[in-house]
Amino acid sequence: MSLMEGKQYRGSLRKLKPEIYYLGEKIESVADHPAFIPHVNSAALTYDMALAPEFEELLTTTSHLTGEKINRYTHIHHSHDDLVKKVKMLRALGQQTGSCFQRCVGHDAMNAIYSVTYDIDQKMGTDYHKRFIEVLKEIQTKDLMVSGAMTDPKGDRRFPPSQQKDPDLYVHVVEKKSDGIVVSGAKMHITGAVNSHGHLVMPTTAMGKEDADYAVSFYVSIDAPGLIHVFGRQTNDTRKCDCMLDQGNVEYGMVGGEALVIFDKVFVPWKHVFMCGEYEFAYDLVERFATAHRQNYGGCKTGLADALIGATYALVQVQGTERASHVRDKLVEMVHLAETLYCCSIACSCQGIPLPAGNYMADPLLANVTKLNVTRYAYEIARLAQDLAGGVLATTPSERDWQHPKVGKYVDKYMKAVADVPAETRIRLIRLLEAMTCGTALAESMHGAGSPQAQKIMIERRANFERKKRLAEKLAKIGEQPRFVC
Amino acid sequence: MKYCGSCNPWVDLTRIARHLTQVAEQRKDFQLVPLSEDNVDAVVILCGCPRACGNKKEVRDKARQSLVTAGESINRRPIPEKDLPATVERELLKIVEQLKDSLSAGA
Repeated sequence: MSLMEGKQYRGSLRKLKPEIYYLGEKIESVADHPAFIPHVNSAALTYDMALAPEFEELLTTTSHLTGEKINRYTHIHHSHDDLVKKVKMLRALGQQTGSCFQRCVGHDAMNAIYSVTYDIDQKMGTDYHKRFIEVLKEIQTKDLMVSGAMTDPKGDRRFPPSQQKDPDLYVHVVEKKSDGIVVSGAKMHITGAVNSHGHLVMPTTAMGKEDADYAVSFYVSIDAPGLIHVFGRQTNDTRKCDCMLDQGNVEYGMVGGEALVIFDKVFVPWKHVFMCGEYEFAYDLVERFATAHRQNYGGCKTGLADALIGATYALVQVQGTERASHVRDKLVEMVHLAETLYCCSIACSCQGIPLPAGNYMADPLLANVTKLNVTRYAYEIARLAQDLAGGVLATTPSERDWQHPKVGKYVDKYMKAVADVPAETRIRLIRLLEAMTCGTALAESMHGAGSPQAQKIMIERRANFERKKRLAEKLAKIGEQPRFVC
Repeated sequence: MKYCGSCNPWVDLTRIARHLTQVAEQRKDFQLVPLSEDNVDAVVILCGCPRACGNKKEVRDKARQSLVTAGESINRRPIPEKDLPATVERELLKIVEQLKDSLSAGA
């Protein structure tokens, strides 16, 4: 098959029977429930845009396994061009959705597992890489959406997984059988979990010998017995169920949609296990996944910023403030910050490195710089948007009052700014800006792909301070003077 | 027609594509085919910005002649966005006429 369209994707979700809870209720079909439809729509666009000629070059490529045309979200990067196209694809998607489209986490997990299973097999004589390739072929051929499930609840951060009072605070193997393993634990903050076909699970931290049962990576279908999903709340989430205009971004929502994924003695057949006890490779998997995922943010968040800047620009026009010099300056600053993030993602992609398995990974130092910048600049871009929108961002009456038989005419009258622009236009722009800047979306920019301190740790590791010191010593004529510092 | 990928287009490329589709339907002396076909006479490479990511040798090699739009330009000649569809049509029709002439000469 290789390329699904969005409608088929929704149909494929309806065929699955996962266990999902939200606001105290069991959800029968995420494709049909108002709280989930925007998230499903965002993910569905990764399918529909692959079929649109104008986006084909970015959203599709050729499988190195089968030679077939596939969605880029199921592709293993094999060149700098692949890495750059990934970033450009994310910008294009971000512009169209104004929201997270979720499929990236699983894509990055595929690439990380692809390379680490190869390394494990080379050293340990296992066959994880071959197993993973068979799963990857299925993902590619059926155009599946998989989540990347890395983050454990972690419990007391002072202690490693094996020393936690509750052993389930990290996913671990509880039983090994002849035909597979049984795992228990949970993964948190899993993007797109409830509207994926399956989960690629990875360890979340470096591990020692005593943590061997926690050094586990596998694939599991979303409706595997024992798997439970609890969908997280987001700012203004009930607006998806009780209004339209006040949602702001009606079709695609505000943020990806993350879930707590619980593994209650879930069975995983050996053919879907890609790491089981090889603890010395856990860190490599974490670092490569994190690098791949941090590479993204200057693509997707810049795409979102494009839409946010557009909303802000449109809003200042309908409010009549567009000619003020500070307004123009702030809009320019928003563009400057957004394009700086894009520069970072392009740079880490162009500086990508080939791995022994044959695939390419973004430059880790620059990818971490990318994400760390996003944790700051996304907030500043949002701050400038809110500055230019004005206090009305926080006080606009609801659509029900705008439609009210008695007060509606007053709301319409006083929400109008520039005379010949309908109040509805201003209200819609305000709501879009509100959705994109007030709440959960920013927290995702902060912590998605790892919190700022995680990036700083990676940057410190790769900073090569000693070499920089030698550069300075040479210039300052301290000690022996080599011709060049290496 | 071959698009660059449209990561962040400066111009509306689909407007050019729709215009050419209409022209093809009206004139009927040329047709738009997938680039994967053999014997493509011309490829119109639609790039959203001057980086012209779609302007690659392997794309140009799939046709006898190529026409490249890159943001507000056609074959590196500056053209305002509003004039792009009509100008691409004009340039493409020049190619069509040249091909017709060479076919007649061959016959």
